[in-house]
Amino acid sequence: MTTIGSRTMQIDINLSKCEGHGLCEQLAPQVFGLDDEGYVFLKVDQPIPAELEEAAAAGARVCPVAALRVLR
Amino acid sequence: MTLDHIVVAGGSIAAVTAAGALRTAGFGGRVTLVSAERAAPYSRVPLSKGVMIGTETPESAALPALPDDVELMLGTAAAGLRVDRRELILAGGGVVDYDGLVIATGARARRLAAPGQRGELVVRTLADAEAIAERRADASSAVVVGGGFLGMEVASTLRHHGLEVTVVDMEPPLRRLLGPWLAEYVTKAALEHGVRLVISEGGVVLEGDPISGVRLGNGEFIAGDLVVSAVGDIPNAEWLEGSGLRLANGVVVDERCRVAPAITGAGDVVSREVSPGVFRRTPHWSNAVAQGRAAATSLLDDGASPYVPDHYFWTEQYGLDVKIAGEPPLVGEPDVLAGDLDGREVLLRWSNTDDATTAVVSINYRMPAARLRKMVA
Repeated sequence: MTTIGSRTMQIDINLSKCEGHGLCEQLAPQVFGLDDEGYVFLKVDQPIPAELEEAAAAGARVCPVAALRVLR
Repeated sequence: MTLDHIVVAGGSIAAVTAAGALRTAGFGGRVTLVSAERAAPYSRVPLSKGVMIGTETPESAALPALPDDVELMLGTAAAGLRVDRRELILAGGGVVDYDGLVIATGARARRLAAPGQRGELVVRTLADAEAIAERRADASSAVVVGGGFLGMEVASTLRHHGLEVTVVDMEPPLRRLLGPWLAEYVTKAALEHGVRLVISEGGVVLEGDPISGVRLGNGEFIAGDLVVSAVGDIPNAEWLEGSGLRLANGVVVDERCRVAPAITGAGDVVSREVSPGVFRRTPHWSNAVAQGRAAATSLLDDGASPYVPDHYFWTEQYGLDVKIAGEPPLVGEPDVLAGDLDGREVLLRWSNTDDATTAVVSINYRMPAARLRKMVA
């Protein structure tokens, strides 16, 4: 499990894969947003703040097209 | 009762979401995920596209890993359940004790081949997609049996890569899912892309060993170097026969995704009684996610709020990116809310006789998905 306060997690977005289904935003609205065209963007700076790491990973895991990767 | 060890049976998105949601909800005990597949959890969505044709690697479909403290037992099928002793029996005879269980063993592709008949292709697992990728280099034609979402997407991908493609179904493609208006709109694009659509009311028989084509109800034979069946799925619930759990078109869950004390269920394997005696599965991605979360929270807290079915789904085929919020089928004709119908970049609305919105559909029309969903709420 990620150590609290480690601040080492990065989310890698592959925009060419993003289809704008918005499940990441639905699950973790603190971390992910969708722009006017429906494409994903990160609402927080990288590395992901420690208290949002779990939410960010959960949001990444529900992407149906695997456009989001978690780098630790 | 204390929960020290929660076992999730299954390895697809419902299972992965449930396992992750247990941790997100603060569960600190052991979590074990038992999956029949050898591959680490992946998304099935890209399989009918790049993975099947070999332009994307199998790794590209991998889902981000679960937290390190979730134990993965891969290549291990659930084979039975002793509810009174809280034991999950594994294929091969092993036993895993649990305090709480999430049933998320998914579904498998329905097949049409006769026992022992070789060469039928399906698109359900990573291995299925890789098998097609391997064979497509030597193939110039394909017959796709089944004109649902999957069949039409498979046909679209194969056609896009130069194969002669015929789709065969007993009824017009997509009609049962999308209703006549939208089905026709998408079908028109399929025809323009050069896919041949054939209706065989009497069904088909796969012929040859290995299979070399299909025989229609009227006697006509259609040959294909590849023959792909996309004729629906079967819930993986047989392992629960004799367990005492209620099975009807899958394992039956209530409005909180509960199956029995200390047992919940999620995803393609579960059904809900939507009206007396009618058990419906909702086998698509966003619903598997919603149920996976509900299955986890209900297990931890019996007073958790009921699960709300998530009626959002999509298909991408023949240059159309179609997103649907609302419950199918779509009856009647839609209003055009924005965009251009002939230009194939359009936002559509279906309504009922009271003029309440029943569904909103975007076709190549870029807008945030959350806004699309809200228009139906």
